[in-house]
Amino acid sequence: MLARIAHELFWLGRNLARAEHTARMLDGVFQASLQGRPDDPAGVTLDWSSLLAIMAAAPGDGLPRRDEVLRALTLDPDNPASVVSCISRAREGARTVRDVISAEMWEAVNTTNLELGQVDLGGRLRTGPSSVYVYVKERCALFWGLTSRTMLRDEASAFLAAGGRIESGDMVLRMLRVALPRDADQLAGIAEQGQALALLQAVGGFQAYRRAVPAPPNALPVARFLLFERGYPDSVAASVDAVHNALIRADRNPRNSEPVLRLQRLSADLEFRGRTEAAGQDVHATCEAVQEELVRVDRDIADRYFAGAPGTMVAA
Amino acid sequence: MASEPASAPLQYTVAGGFLDEVFGHEGEPEDHAADLVAAVELMGPDRLAAAGRRRDAIFMQQGITFELTGEDGPKDRPFPLDLVPRIIPASEWTSIKRGLAQRIRALNAFVDDVYHAREIVREGIVPWRLVVSRSHFARAVHGIRPPGGVYTHVAGCDLVRDSDGTWKVLEDNVRTPSGISYVLENRVAMTRLVPELFAHYRVRPVDHYPQLLLAALRAVAPSADAEATVVVWTPGPFNSAYFEHAFLARQMGVELVEASDLVVRDDVLYMRTTDGLERVHAVYRRLDDGFVDPLEFRPDSMLGVPGLVRAYRAGTVAVANAFGTGVADDKAIYHYVPEMIRFYLNEEPILSNVKTYLLSDPEQLEHVVGRLAELVVKPTGESGGKGVFIGPTTPEDELDGLAEVIQAHPERWIAQEVVNLSTVPTAAIDGRLSPRHVDLRPFAVFGEDIKIVPGGLTRVALIEGSMIVNSSRGGGSKDTWVLEDGSDSDRAEPESMLTAPPTLPDLRYGSQWVGQQQQQQQELDEPGRC
Repeated sequence: MLARIAHELFWLGRNLARAEHTARMLDGVFQASLQGRPDDPAGVTLDWSSLLAIMAAAPGDGLPRRDEVLRALTLDPDNPASVVSCISRAREGARTVRDVISAEMWEAVNTTNLELGQVDLGGRLRTGPSSVYVYVKERCALFWGLTSRTMLRDEASAFLAAGGRIESGDMVLRMLRVALPRDADQLAGIAEQGQALALLQAVGGFQAYRRAVPAPPNALPVARFLLFERGYPDSVAASVDAVHNALIRADRNPRNSEPVLRLQRLSADLEFRGRTEAAGQDVHATCEAVQEELVRVDRDIADRYFAGAPGTMVAA
Repeated sequence: MASEPASAPLQYTVAGGFLDEVFGHEGEPEDHAADLVAAVELMGPDRLAAAGRRRDAIFMQQGITFELTGEDGPKDRPFPLDLVPRIIPASEWTSIKRGLAQRIRALNAFVDDVYHAREIVREGIVPWRLVVSRSHFARAVHGIRPPGGVYTHVAGCDLVRDSDGTWKVLEDNVRTPSGISYVLENRVAMTRLVPELFAHYRVRPVDHYPQLLLAALRAVAPSADAEATVVVWTPGPFNSAYFEHAFLARQMGVELVEASDLVVRDDVLYMRTTDGLERVHAVYRRLDDGFVDPLEFRPDSMLGVPGLVRAYRAGTVAVANAFGTGVADDKAIYHYVPEMIRFYLNEEPILSNVKTYLLSDPEQLEHVVGRLAELVVKPTGESGGKGVFIGPTTPEDELDGLAEVIQAHPERWIAQEVVNLSTVPTAAIDGRLSPRHVDLRPFAVFGEDIKIVPGGLTRVALIEGSMIVNSSRGGGSKDTWVLEDGSDSDRAEPESMLTAPPTLPDLRYGSQWVGQQQQQQQELDEPGRC
């Protein structure tokens, strides 16, 4: 297929996944911000400034206020990281590839974009932000559901899936890197005690965690769950595997494909770390290493399939 | 906040003779409630009513309902959550919490005593005849001491506030108190529906309750490994509290079992899984003693597990709450709880009882029969407001009949002075506020220690003047806010030591590809249109 089309599909997936993750994080932090501290010591930091850091938005002076962050990351059309910007970019991308995706998928994205443009988002943010995020989550789920029901499972769908999943993995890694304390001693201090419920609520993974892990939701088990638990669809390991599978599907010669090989190694590495890293090891370093590797994967994908098209990640 | 411009001043009249928790006796908002009043005024009745309609729709969608049997059979109704929260300041909560912990410790000690040494009986404080005649006294568990000596793992005492502002215990529930799921769901709904009311307040969260419960159950489970298998045992999907059973199992990530899933082999409890039998270490059971084991309790029980009590006696399984705890929350035993606190703990009770008359005493019986129209009469051993007569609102001919019933079996009844339940502003269907009576059921979890979730379930009588708060009889609930100590500004802001991940990768529109092409594509369009 055309490199340009593959590239658009990849970014359609990325933009939708980013919009959904942002909505989930905003909703999670908003709910938590209305209430005070729990009795147990807080283990992780996931507040308004963390959100800005995760989305790499420029922090203003002093501590950011709730309403500012909500607006900036939800409805600000000038902020490329806001939910509406992601959706509108996704809509532009979908328009370009209308002939490749199914009509229902196109309509799902297009209606979402129209709807977000029509309702009084500012008003809804003031009276009940959750309703906005529920809407975005549902519309993204609708798109992916329609994809699996109506789109031919060809190369095109593989690039769409690869984009969506690499973005999920990247967003979860960003969140972990910002929320977990960088200092190893501090991390060890909260590993078994500090609460990390906020992280699970920000990805919608609380119940999955509950069913998969017997330990209480403290910082270290939660971080390990979000990194290594393949059974949980939004874990980094599951996302890496999904990108890997998608590229195998898309590539005529996957055994000679750099991104595929790199993902294979990353997947094995995650498996290895998940099984061998004992408690107290540096989760932070793992997140950093995995994310840097994802940056390289992204570059390899661009080189191999998109004729080096722009839109690659820039490492810090 | 008086300076806030009020869009529509509240028209609110305090009911005479009762304490209003927001407006006091005089009609001026209390300090801790002033911001809330301002926020509600700002919202106005119309928006409050609109939020109420959204609430009903959401609750129906999420299945947070209860069954109401009307003329055309049982019908699911959205759980009635009133959108105006009830506020409990930190200082008041501290004393409630201490009082509850003290009371639960004493009740636990009493259960242990009843089935072991019976010291309180030998001291002549509680008559043995009264204890053994309680319907929930369980001979089958005599001499069994569960791990940690904990019997009342989950307790919910019903508290009320009298017109002078003092908190009193109206009832103890140490069998299977229900309602905690509504506490958690109410809070989630409030943050979604009316987030603006939370401004200016630091409300203590409640969502850690399932963790507390799981930790407590693990703490008492007789398991060598760190991770004991815990289950929630429900009578089945037809039980009115099935929503809560499923909720707790889901939140704790444990199996929700019915009797047919459980089996006892060689004094060990197992559950049937796709992988064969799996040992169960701790059971959070949500059915009464009578039904749990047809070999030891009611032989006609279809909901029980034969041999469970044997396994319990052998110490291979922990059961919460323990069998036989019902003897402690019997309404006739209630009268003795302050004495228990003095006897077992050597402390003065922090929370007082409502004045109660034991009708088995002929003198008290005579006194009560003469004053039936002024008292509340309750059957012992019942719960959920069943069979309660409130003197001032009961017709005279019914009272005459009641007097005969009581005199026939005085030991089955108690009488209490009427408490003038406090009121809290409550929204009607049109969004206007008026005072309604409330009680409070805080939930305590007793594992290694007693932990109490801030607040609890506030039940509110939605009918004007009514003091019956049970949801089966037209009661609703309110989100209950326990405020954090100190003001908002005291909160130490966590230091920002953020580590920035790499910048978000992005499509650079306007660079190489898209920008120029777009322009040229549009130019190309023009001739086509001519």
